[in-house]
Amino acid sequence: MPNMPKVVLPHPLGGIPLDKVYDKLDVAFDEIVAQLTLPPAKLDAVSPVGAFGGRVEISAVDEWGDLQRELLERGWGDGLPLVPPTEARVQAMVDFCGLPADHVVGVVEPGNGVATVENIASNAVMAGCSPQHMPLLVAAVKALSDPRVFLRNIQATTHPISPMLIVSGPLTQALNINCGSGVFGPGPWANGVLGRALRLVMLNIGGGKPIAIDKATMGHPGKYSYCMAENEAANPWPSLRAERGFGADTSTVTVFGCESPHNINDHESTTAGGLLTTICGAMAQTGQNNVYYPCELLLILSPEHAATIVGDGYSKDDVRQSIYEGARIPMTRFSRENIERRLWRYLAKRYRNRPIDTPVGVVQRAEDVLILVAGGPGKHSMYAPTSGSSHSVTCPIVKADGRPWLPSDFQA
Amino acid sequence: MKLCSPLGHSVTSTLTGKARPHSLEGLRIGLLDNTKAPVDKMLAHLARRIEERIPGAKPFYVSKSVMSRPASAEAMESLRQNTDVVINALGD
Repeated sequence: MPNMPKVVLPHPLGGIPLDKVYDKLDVAFDEIVAQLTLPPAKLDAVSPVGAFGGRVEISAVDEWGDLQRELLERGWGDGLPLVPPTEARVQAMVDFCGLPADHVVGVVEPGNGVATVENIASNAVMAGCSPQHMPLLVAAVKALSDPRVFLRNIQATTHPISPMLIVSGPLTQALNINCGSGVFGPGPWANGVLGRALRLVMLNIGGGKPIAIDKATMGHPGKYSYCMAENEAANPWPSLRAERGFGADTSTVTVFGCESPHNINDHESTTAGGLLTTICGAMAQTGQNNVYYPCELLLILSPEHAATIVGDGYSKDDVRQSIYEGARIPMTRFSRENIERRLWRYLAKRYRNRPIDTPVGVVQRAEDVLILVAGGPGKHSMYAPTSGSSHSVTCPIVKADGRPWLPSDFQA
Repeated sequence: MKLCSPLGHSVTSTLTGKARPHSLEGLRIGLLDNTKAPVDKMLAHLARRIEERIPGAKPFYVSKSVMSRPASAEAMESLRQNTDVVINALGD
C-alpha cells in the first residue's frame, strides 16, 4: 500500500534511553494526528511494478557501454553487467521450456507482480542463463510464489536472508550445476547464473528494490546469487527430493530462505557422537532468529562427515533428533531483555518462568532440521539459520504435461 | 535496440476504507503493537499524549502475536469493535 499514510521516526529507536525515544515521538505527534485526519485518499492494495509483455526501445549503441548504464538507471539490475534481453534471446528461452509466453507461473511478493514465462525469461537472459535453464527457473519461481515461503518477509526484512535454491536429482549434472567441491563458490558451472536469475525475478517482478523495499541492515552475499545442489552420489541417506515424495526420475528445486552458510570445522572427530557434538556446538548460538521462533534449520554435511555419521548407524532422523536435543544454549547466555521480550513472548509455553539455566533449542521440533549432503573432500560442513517466518518449498521440474524433464531432453 | 521488459505487471485493487475524521476529538484510537522493541513503550507514551492533548479521545491497545505475521483475526475484530481509527506501529 504505497499511499497508506505514514509517519517515519528516525532510527535508532531500540537500544537507546526511553526518554530519547519519547522525544522523537513527541516531535512527530502533530504529524501523526495530521495523517489520521487527512482527507480520504484511495489506497492501492498493491504497487504496480510494470506492464506484461512490454517492449522497451532504447537508443543505445554499445551493449556493454551505454546500454549497461541505461539498464542500471532503470533499476533492472544488481550492479553487475546484464545481458540485454533482446526479443531473440528471450524467445529462445520461451521456446525451450514449451509453455506459452503469457503462461502465469506465480505471483511474486511484495509487489505482487505476475510472473509469466516471458518475464522470467527476460530476467534469466539478463542473469546470463541459457534456454536450457528455463524449466528449472519456472519450477523455482513456482516455489518462490508459494505462500509458505512468505516472500514478502524475505524481500522486506532487516534480517540477512535470501532464498537458497537447492537442486536435487538427475538434472544436476545435465545442467552443469555444481554439488561438489566449492558448492557455494565460483566456477565454470550454472549455479551463479541460476541464483542470479531468481534474484532478478525478485527485483523486477517482485519489486524488491534495495533500500526502498529491501530494508536489510546488512544483507548477505547470497543476495546476488544463492544456488547449490545436493551431492546425491555421496549421500548415504535418502535425498531431500526423495524425503518429499518425488520419484527417481523427477528432479526438484527447493527454495529455502536462509542466512549465509556458517562453517562447521571438525577434522578430529571419528565418531557420529563426536561430530554431532561439534555440529550442535556450532549451531548453539544466541543472536540467531532460530532461537526465538519455531522454524527450520538447514544442515549441509560434507560427504566425509556424512560417511562418519552413517558409519555409526545413524539415519537422517537420528541426526535430526541429536540436533534437536543437543543444539541448545543455556538461558544464562541470553540478555535479560531478550529473555523477557523474545523467549517469554514467542515461546512462552516452553520458557516462561523457567529456571535461568533452562536450555534453549535452535529448533522446536526435530523434523524442522533439513539435512543435505554436498561439497567435496574435506572436513567442513555448514549450517544455515532462517528468519523464523519462511518455510522451504519443493517443486518438481516438469513439462507442460506434468512429466519430468530428463537429462536426455538437454542433450544437443 | 528493442528489449523485452523484465518487469511484472500486478493486479492493483483499490480499497474503499472508512472516511477519515476531520478531528480525533472524542474518538477511540487503536494502537496496534507489532511487538518489536520498544513499540510497546512508545505506544504507552503515545496513549498518554493522546489523553493529554485530544479532548475525549480514548486509546485502545492491541498487540500482534508475531511481528512478521498479520494480526490475528481476533486482534482485527477487537480493533473493528473498539476503535474509530488505528495507528499501526511498525517497530524495527
